[in-house]
Amino acid sequence: MALIEAKGLTKEFRLFRRREGVLGAFRDLFVRDYKTLKAVNGIDFTVEKGEMVGYIGANGAGKSTTIKMLTGILVPTSGTVFVNGFVPYKEREAYTMGIGVVFGQRSQLWWDIAVIESFKLLRRIYNVPKEDFELRLKKFNYLLDLDNFLHLPVRKLSLGQRMRCDLVAALLHNPQILFLDEPTIGLDVLAKARIRDFLKEINKENKTTIILTTHDLGDIEALCSRVAIIDKGIMLYDGQVEDLYRRWGHDKLEDIIKRIYQGDIPELKENAGGVRLA
Amino acid sequence: MREGFALPRTIGAVDMGGRLLNRIILYLELVRMEFVNNLAYRSTYFTGIFNYSIQIGAYYFLWDAIYAGGKVIGGLNREEMITYVIVAWVARSFYFSNLDRRIALEIVEGKIALELIRPYSYQMVKYARAFGEAIFRMLFFAFPAGLMFSVVRPFGLPPDVLSAVLFIIAILGSFAIYAQISMLVGFVVFFTKSTTGIYKAKRIVMDLFSGLLIPITFYPQWAIDIIKLFPFQAVSYLPNMIYLGKATKAGALNIIALQAFWIIVLWIACSLVWRFAVKHVVIQGG
Amino acid sequence: MKASSSFRKKAVRYFMIFSHYLAQYMKTQMAYRADFMANVFSELFQQSINLIFIAVVFAKVPQIQGWSRDEIIFIYGFFLVPFGIYGGFLNHLFDVPEKYVLQGEFDRILIRPMNTWFQVVIETMKPELLMGSLTGFALMYYAGTSLGISPEWWDIPIAVGLVVGAALIYAGVYTFLASLGFWTEGNIGLMPMVYNLSHYGRYPMTIYRGLTRFLLTWVLPFAFVGFYPATLIMHRYEYLNYALLTPFIGIITFVIGYRVWTIGVKRYRGTGS
Repeated sequence: MALIEAKGLTKEFRLFRRREGVLGAFRDLFVRDYKTLKAVNGIDFTVEKGEMVGYIGANGAGKSTTIKMLTGILVPTSGTVFVNGFVPYKEREAYTMGIGVVFGQRSQLWWDIAVIESFKLLRRIYNVPKEDFELRLKKFNYLLDLDNFLHLPVRKLSLGQRMRCDLVAALLHNPQILFLDEPTIGLDVLAKARIRDFLKEINKENKTTIILTTHDLGDIEALCSRVAIIDKGIMLYDGQVEDLYRRWGHDKLEDIIKRIYQGDIPELKENAGGVRLA
Repeated sequence: MREGFALPRTIGAVDMGGRLLNRIILYLELVRMEFVNNLAYRSTYFTGIFNYSIQIGAYYFLWDAIYAGGKVIGGLNREEMITYVIVAWVARSFYFSNLDRRIALEIVEGKIALELIRPYSYQMVKYARAFGEAIFRMLFFAFPAGLMFSVVRPFGLPPDVLSAVLFIIAILGSFAIYAQISMLVGFVVFFTKSTTGIYKAKRIVMDLFSGLLIPITFYPQWAIDIIKLFPFQAVSYLPNMIYLGKATKAGALNIIALQAFWIIVLWIACSLVWRFAVKHVVIQGG
Repeated sequence: MKASSSFRKKAVRYFMIFSHYLAQYMKTQMAYRADFMANVFSELFQQSINLIFIAVVFAKVPQIQGWSRDEIIFIYGFFLVPFGIYGGFLNHLFDVPEKYVLQGEFDRILIRPMNTWFQVVIETMKPELLMGSLTGFALMYYAGTSLGISPEWWDIPIAVGLVVGAALIYAGVYTFLASLGFWTEGNIGLMPMVYNLSHYGRYPMTIYRGLTRFLLTWVLPFAFVGFYPATLIMHRYEYLNYALLTPFIGIITFVIGYRVWTIGVKRYRGTGS
């Protein structure tokens, strides 16, 4: 069985439309006017152990909703999902022991306490043996150069430093899968490069499976051999990055993605293996 | 949306009278804007009315039980006391303002520096906006709440029209004094750099010494002598005495004059603290 | 056998995590020592409002509906003990609608392998407010001495049971109110209302009439966070049946509150907002 297996994964939201005016507000009290929105509409998705998959899409395309379903935050409306042997939303506590999650927009560290103390708290939460903890921390420290700010509270860190710490925090328990939601958002060129190198290293060394959403195609080019493109809740493309270049006979990823968003998905002339058409 | 507003343009070389008029128009415009802004957020006020009902209820039951013997305590009989409680709280819903929190926040977040480069009086802008909110609360909060309570538990009205008018004037004075005290409390943050404890301290002092919870006459004489040296009782206790008809006409005018005195004193105090703070704290980048 | 040992393991793990949080909290507070002290002292002085009220009123009247000054102070003292627990650990459930639901911080809670309610409580606790309970003990000691109450050994286990029951009432009610945030997605101002209502519990129920008294006993049971249990420790037995109900009311209230919490979390995970 693959590490991540989603079939027909669907998430609908009911949007409450407020009526206008005092009379409308009064009617809203009794009969609400709902509109159903399919944020994710029946996507199939398989990821093998050790893969590094880029997940891209415009704002509101359904990326975050998918990630939230895969991490067990959201319960799907329909479809099935198995990750790491669990149904994420059913056995949340046991399941989250084996995954790491980083939200680029929001730190998971405790704002007021020193970074190292945050890590120690996480060690308790994830039941990490002391020796493993120290070994990993040493390695991460070597890779990310944390020493200078390990004893500062998170609120005093720069965005790049904070992101490095958030990555470490998500990896201290050596999770099978790492989910990253826009991990390089707002970072400068150097900080981005540093994080990309780190992720490559982690993936290579620990065989950690990495799923990342991003708006920065540089992340995809640097990290992922495979990319999934979603728009309006529907998977438009899921396959090797190389095949993208080949199919379009083009070498600028940005242009290719733009055209896919516009609905232009040409058939591949010679069907190279491993291409999955959604 | 709540913060930004356009200023009427001031044109150079206007005579003093014109400038003053200009200013007054500006501040009136601010009053109006804050009023309209509050209209947009009115839903929170409905829960506010219930919240006041619960507070009034607590003290109503308490005083009702205290007066079970039916005698006169501290110069008030049972009915007067219940009227006192309800009027004190309903009036509070008008004169109350959270200027201290707003100002303290601006100081802590450093936004105050932005205010300094604007061509208006910082304090007047704050008062104007607080007043806009107060008018809103009078119309949509104090009046309906008062009406509601008069149905649930009828309470007394002022003895005559003149007392009612004087009471309303006195309540305007309460607003001014309360706002000025709040302003001073907010300014404390210039010096302490932290808000912890300040609001609570103000709350304790105002609740106890304005007469909101206990009429001043209940205190022992030595305490009354001390309380009289401060402006707090002019916020709640003294206006309530006008409402209850416990002050003679001359006494009522005296109360209003006393309020005017405190408004001037507090005005001077605010200006001095403001000037000192701007010079010594803000400029030094404190 | 196996179930019980895994429960024990879990309890130990949660206790360890809690102690770690507590230690960290204290460490950060030491960084703002002045604020910390100001917070503690203003909490203690906060109680002076009601004490001065009692002192001033009883200088004018000998008793309120048969309750003497010291009895009222004793009830208030007892009231402050569970109230301190509430202040230290539950007051900031207040943050749930705005911070956790509206701003989406709850996502972060859901990706950690721990109970969600426990996480929110330890993230928002302000244990220094537990100091308020000390005022309560002091007042009970003072009033109890002047009332000539001689404590028996069994007063201690009973008092513990009553305090735990009362704290569970706070926990249940505020968990319930916080959970409403999963539906309202933002504050609707109910919490300050209920906070003020909870203060009704510091006076004898005999001063409240009709609907109010019924409400405080059976709907939002704040009669059980102060008055009823306090009478038992005061060795006044007219309300014995009510007082003994305190732990049960506490358990029921908490079970209801926690149940609504789990339904609210379910809703959050269904709608993600």
